[in-house]
Amino acid sequence: MAEKIPSISKINELFQNKEMKPSELFEQVYETASYTESVLHAHLELFYDEGLKLSKESDKRYKKNESLGLLDGIPIAIKDNINIYGYKTTCSSKMLSNYVSPYDATVVTSLKKAGTIFTGKTNLDEFAMGSSTENSAYGPTKNPWNPDFVPGGSSGGSAAVVSAGSAVASLGSDTGGSIRQPASFCGVVGFKPTYGTVSRYGLIAFASSLDQIGPITNTVDDTRIIFNEIQGYDSKDATSITPVYTKLENKKIKVGILKELMQEGVSNESQNEVNKVVNQLREKGHDVTEISLPLTEMALSVYYLIAPAECSANLSRFDGVRYGIREDASTSYEMMNKTRSVGFGEEVKKRILLGTYALSAGYFDEYYGRALKVRSKIITDFKTAFDKVDFILSPTTPTPAFGFGEKTKNPLEMYLSDLCTIPANLAGLPAISIPTGLSENNLPLSVQIMGKPCSDYSLIDFAESIEEMVEFNSSPNLLKENSES
Amino acid sequence: MNLKATIGMETHVELDTKSKMFCSCEVVETDEPNISVCPTCLGLPGALPVPNKTAIQYIVMLSLGANCKITNEGMFHRKNYFYPDLPKNYQISQFDFPVGVNGSLEIVLDEELHSVEIERVHMEEDTGKSVHMGSGRIDSATSTLLDFNRSGVPLVEVVTKPVISTSKMAVAYIEELRQLVIDLGISKGKLEKGNLRFDANISVANEDSNELGTKVEIKNMNSLKSLEKAIDYEIMRQSKQIKKGESVIQETRHWDENKQVTISMRTKEGSADYRYFSDPDLPNMIIDEEFINNSKKNIQNLPTDKRKTLKESGLSLSDSNYLDKGDKWLYDLYLSTVENTKDSKSTFNFLTGELQGQMRKAEIDELPDWVDSEKISNLINLFETNEVSFTSAKDILAKLLGEDIDPKTYATDNNLIQSSDDEEIKTLVTSVIKENQDIVERLEDPEDKLVGFLVGQVMKSSVNKVNPGSVKDILLKELFG
Repeated sequence: MAEKIPSISKINELFQNKEMKPSELFEQVYETASYTESVLHAHLELFYDEGLKLSKESDKRYKKNESLGLLDGIPIAIKDNINIYGYKTTCSSKMLSNYVSPYDATVVTSLKKAGTIFTGKTNLDEFAMGSSTENSAYGPTKNPWNPDFVPGGSSGGSAAVVSAGSAVASLGSDTGGSIRQPASFCGVVGFKPTYGTVSRYGLIAFASSLDQIGPITNTVDDTRIIFNEIQGYDSKDATSITPVYTKLENKKIKVGILKELMQEGVSNESQNEVNKVVNQLREKGHDVTEISLPLTEMALSVYYLIAPAECSANLSRFDGVRYGIREDASTSYEMMNKTRSVGFGEEVKKRILLGTYALSAGYFDEYYGRALKVRSKIITDFKTAFDKVDFILSPTTPTPAFGFGEKTKNPLEMYLSDLCTIPANLAGLPAISIPTGLSENNLPLSVQIMGKPCSDYSLIDFAESIEEMVEFNSSPNLLKENSES
Repeated sequence: MNLKATIGMETHVELDTKSKMFCSCEVVETDEPNISVCPTCLGLPGALPVPNKTAIQYIVMLSLGANCKITNEGMFHRKNYFYPDLPKNYQISQFDFPVGVNGSLEIVLDEELHSVEIERVHMEEDTGKSVHMGSGRIDSATSTLLDFNRSGVPLVEVVTKPVISTSKMAVAYIEELRQLVIDLGISKGKLEKGNLRFDANISVANEDSNELGTKVEIKNMNSLKSLEKAIDYEIMRQSKQIKKGESVIQETRHWDENKQVTISMRTKEGSADYRYFSDPDLPNMIIDEEFINNSKKNIQNLPTDKRKTLKESGLSLSDSNYLDKGDKWLYDLYLSTVENTKDSKSTFNFLTGELQGQMRKAEIDELPDWVDSEKISNLINLFETNEVSFTSAKDILAKLLGEDIDPKTYATDNNLIQSSDDEEIKTLVTSVIKENQDIVERLEDPEDKLVGFLVGQVMKSSVNKVNPGSVKDILLKELFG
């Protein structure tokens, strides 16, 4: 039954030609979700009734040739830290186990207008803090390629559902790699747009200056279609920009290979994927050179000061006073204390403490203040680098997916899995991860391409040309097993 | 040992904007709780703040009005502390780059001008309101209700340098600041509504010392009267302690209106760590020349300008300051009236004494529309030239407040015009002296009370109204030469 889902453009063609109805596709992905879910646990909630109803409305629009566009009737899953009116948004936290959002995130409003059908909410590391989805209060998500391995995180659920075929695409959020790293682990495309091009309104904040919503899809073209729908200025987000996208004039593209991400700490397997792509690019006549940005090596340290500092304030609002769970106590302070102790998981508490410390009087300059300074130097360094190259190529992750429990005992090792993705967040750059091959143990490997701010569309174009070059056509074992049965 | 007090004021001004600081919720004045709230001002997950441009314009206007230097790139900071009525458990405020710095306000104390230096003018958002049920106080409440209508209402905090030395000066400063925000049109300036809320930092030290004493912060003063009393009380309390050789503790104290004392709220061990950091949800506030110039366009006739105009009309500084702080219509009426009367003091007295007094008594808030400066100046001129007595003028004013009359015509028609014809008065005086020989004999000097009696007799005998001043003059001349 399960077959690899066609691209959005192809689906739209089928819809237009009345060869398939949106409700049929919805039933198909729902069925896939139903039988994969018991293994994967990628969803926190599935919206069958509402989804079926909306897809039947879409049926009617196609019947009358009044479709709303390419995304009309396309089933998309939403990471459970993005608000949909009338549905729970838990952030995979006990704290928000009963929280129902009274409003739509701006990206949700955009997709609703485009006729998208929401299939459900996907699992994540609690409040998007983690790299394996092991930090979900509702249990981990498994990797569709091999359930013994993590799907990555924090958007592990969103990557897994696309990989497993239980949604055509999904939305994730990326603070330090949370879209690209799980996309890489699950063998799908993950895109973090330029900071400010996609509204954050309605995304439950982890680290506001780094968070960015983006799509996870099967193809680069699907990413283009979804990005096109959700990007643009939003008056509800003061950090939102009116993007003026850059275009690539030259056919011959200048690509930089980031030396600091092609050395010890990054597995040979991951480096080999980059080398494979480099060879193909050179064959096509593109100009590939090695570049060095020494401060990249400090990116992880900078990130682990800035992100926790911002999160320590962003997560203060979860106090049991107005929404979420509440622990009874005799005074309001005691109530807040108990609620936060019970409601937050270990990783979240760890980061709140770390951030609170970094912002404290006497430590601010030494930690948070210094991190800000290095961050602005990193931004300048990238700017200089992009004077010389159009794009920067690197592995997305230092290794393919790792096993459950492999890194939970050693947080530093866990944090290192975001080594290659964090710099783009610190500099606000667009970055895309595309699958290029399989590892020795049959797990997906990817490369990451970073562009200068607002080069999103040309970055997508370039990624598409690499996608065509590498011809990655494998699908997860889970799908194969099920289609054989 | 001579002691001196040093006071710094921190004042929160609630801006009179249509919508809140970071969302489009309307600013409402109501007792009905939680009717003007949204995801942003409730601190719901995922909601974001977007700055209110008008509020920033207002704070720039206030900074300019307080002669501050404008920071061209202002920053919003998060001030972190937990409190149930603070929805995000951080308040968006400003820390190292406030909108206005290093300003000054000119204030009037009696007949003297003083300058109060302003350290900073910065923006922040208001919190919600906690309503403690059962007792009204948090420590003995049975439950607490929260109202977020006020949450996110734009506030400006104006902080003075520690340059105020007396409670009277502090009151004059608040009066000046209040008038400034009213004249700028950026706040309703109603103290009773909490549009202005102030805390005082007070320290007492040896007069010769160059260093300030230990600072004590006084909160909960809801009126100018309680401000004055609280400062006086606190200076006395600290002075007593110092004289006894005890040290003053750095703390926050609460003014207890019923007991008329300050009460310790909490002792500060160092200062609270608010962990200020730049709010990543908000880009920097770019306040460029164009924005400043546009703000300047909205600024005219500030309290200092008004005072200058009033002084130039011939009023004393304190009278000028009185009118400056009064209603706008009274200020306008005074200026147009004095054009015709040419007598600033008598015009001032008549308007602030008689007119305001009668309006208060008659419970009229607004001047009836037929009462204009022409009628008022005519009336003032009538008694100034002795055409009518002051008593008659008061009666005419009362009539005028009730219906549209012409003062002069009314005085004539009602026989209130008094004669100043000396010959006529002289005839009357002569006959009264004749008729009251017994009294005239008992007169000792011109100050005698009986002179008044004789004047009264002359007035009584007159058919036409005569001017009592003229009667007295002629009578004394006849009697004492």
